[in-house]
Amino acid sequence: MHRNLKLKLFLFFFLLFATISFAFLFPRLTLPFGFAYIIYLIAQPLKVLLTNGSGQQRIFFFMLLILGVVFSMFPLFAAFYNIDTDFSKFSAQLPELQKNLQDKFFIFKVHVFEKIGYRINIDPVSFVVRKLEKQGALLLAQIPTYLSSFFEWMLLVPMFLYFFFFQSKKFSQKFLRSIPNSIFEKTYVLTSQFNTKFGEYIIAKFIEATFLGTIVTIGLLAIGFPYPFVLGFIAGITNILPYIGPLIGVLPALLVALLSQDPHVSILGMVLIFAFANLIDMVLVFPLLVSKVVDLNPIIVVVSVIVGGQVGGIVGMIVIIPFIAFFKLLFQEIYKDLSVQL
Amino acid sequence: MSYEKDMMEKNQRGEVIPDKLDIPLLKYLWDASPLSFGSSKENYHEFFKKISVLNSFSDNELRLFSKFLHRREFITSEVIFRQGDSGYGFYFVFQGSVNIYANHLNPNKDDLGELIIRLDQRQYFGEMGLLEEFNRRSASVVAAENTVVLGIFKPDLEKMLEFYPVLGAKFLRETALIMANRMGHLTREVMSLKRKIKELEQRV
Repeated sequence: MHRNLKLKLFLFFFLLFATISFAFLFPRLTLPFGFAYIIYLIAQPLKVLLTNGSGQQRIFFFMLLILGVVFSMFPLFAAFYNIDTDFSKFSAQLPELQKNLQDKFFIFKVHVFEKIGYRINIDPVSFVVRKLEKQGALLLAQIPTYLSSFFEWMLLVPMFLYFFFFQSKKFSQKFLRSIPNSIFEKTYVLTSQFNTKFGEYIIAKFIEATFLGTIVTIGLLAIGFPYPFVLGFIAGITNILPYIGPLIGVLPALLVALLSQDPHVSILGMVLIFAFANLIDMVLVFPLLVSKVVDLNPIIVVVSVIVGGQVGGIVGMIVIIPFIAFFKLLFQEIYKDLSVQL
Repeated sequence: MSYEKDMMEKNQRGEVIPDKLDIPLLKYLWDASPLSFGSSKENYHEFFKKISVLNSFSDNELRLFSKFLHRREFITSEVIFRQGDSGYGFYFVFQGSVNIYANHLNPNKDDLGELIIRLDQRQYFGEMGLLEEFNRRSASVVAAENTVVLGIFKPDLEKMLEFYPVLGAKFLRETALIMANRMGHLTREVMSLKRKIKELEQRV
């Protein structure tokens, strides 16, 4: 290979390595950048609708979008107001819940003593409450840090969004120009496939979470279960995590049901609603939206989620799946190439 | 045909030229203006106008089409792709020329094989890579001099079909025509070879 071509190849990989290292070293920049990218990906279908078709069709979709935004504002504000109210109510009832939990544990201790004559001397409820208070104090002490990072995000996310919507095309053209000829075709096709897979996965998960959250909220509202908006919101968010997400999502609702003294609160009803929502997700939403994007073995998915969680926390658990799907593609390509060369 | 030519011909024929410009034309002029936002310095429009297979494309379609292309520069003797590589793209020779080699005996060895043909400016190669699902390059292409090629790849075609379906369909039709022409040529070659084999058999 010509000396200049070798140098170009070396420079390209050096810059790639430097960029990846920079992303890992400065998560305060990488995380809002990733968040802005996810919003950009979610907005992509709108871009297709607004750029496709005749002028009249585009005007129609634009008007529809404006109407949709205006009308969705009311339920959105109402939902946020309800979530806020639910959280306030939940906080106000915490001392009562603590007393209730202590009473129930006391009954359990008496029951154990009467049955087997063993006196339980530990007090796990007070221990957990003390731990929670300590964590709460730590959280309070960290509020200025959270606030500063919140303001940082408020500044950075719109800036990155502007970049993605208006500058990314020129940037990607320049990036593509810098790829050496010998690896251009493959790199371009693989990065395009990764972008498509990642985008489709994020959109599919977003729709899936909205769908599940809405079903759970409506169901809990219908049976008069407390905090329907908070629990629906949590169920939607946790559902983003494959396989283990639905299990985590039902835990807060189960806790509320166990601690509630209201006779109208039905654990069975709540469990049935969560089961129904997850059934709809498994039978309808997942096969139609997600499985087409992520064609992976369930065991690989579970292991990947655990590894992703250990490496990158919640964000790692979410983004690991499209990465694994991409690596599968990459290995398939390498395998194809090797099989031809043999 | 371009709008300017159309107007000039109408004028020569003594036909009435419309005094009002319609909106799509205004949009085209706005987009095509070098001062407008998002315009690129690289205007391949004139280049594509001279390529016969893209004759059916209007000026605006050619302008949109050129947005999907990638300019790649190769120095003399640099390999564009090798026989047996996975193929994903279709190339037009923008400047310079390329040599096409095929190694029929050891297709996966480093030896490029014998020279099949030399392609000059405005000629094209690699269309199979764009259409086939798992394409393997059937020949190696090497820059004969310092060469600039314009490439369009599978993801670009998918984007084109998504955002500009009419343009995408037109380009696919033209690519299919190129393939059909090549197939026709290939069939004639096979027929002539068969005839020659028969003649040889009869002589023997």
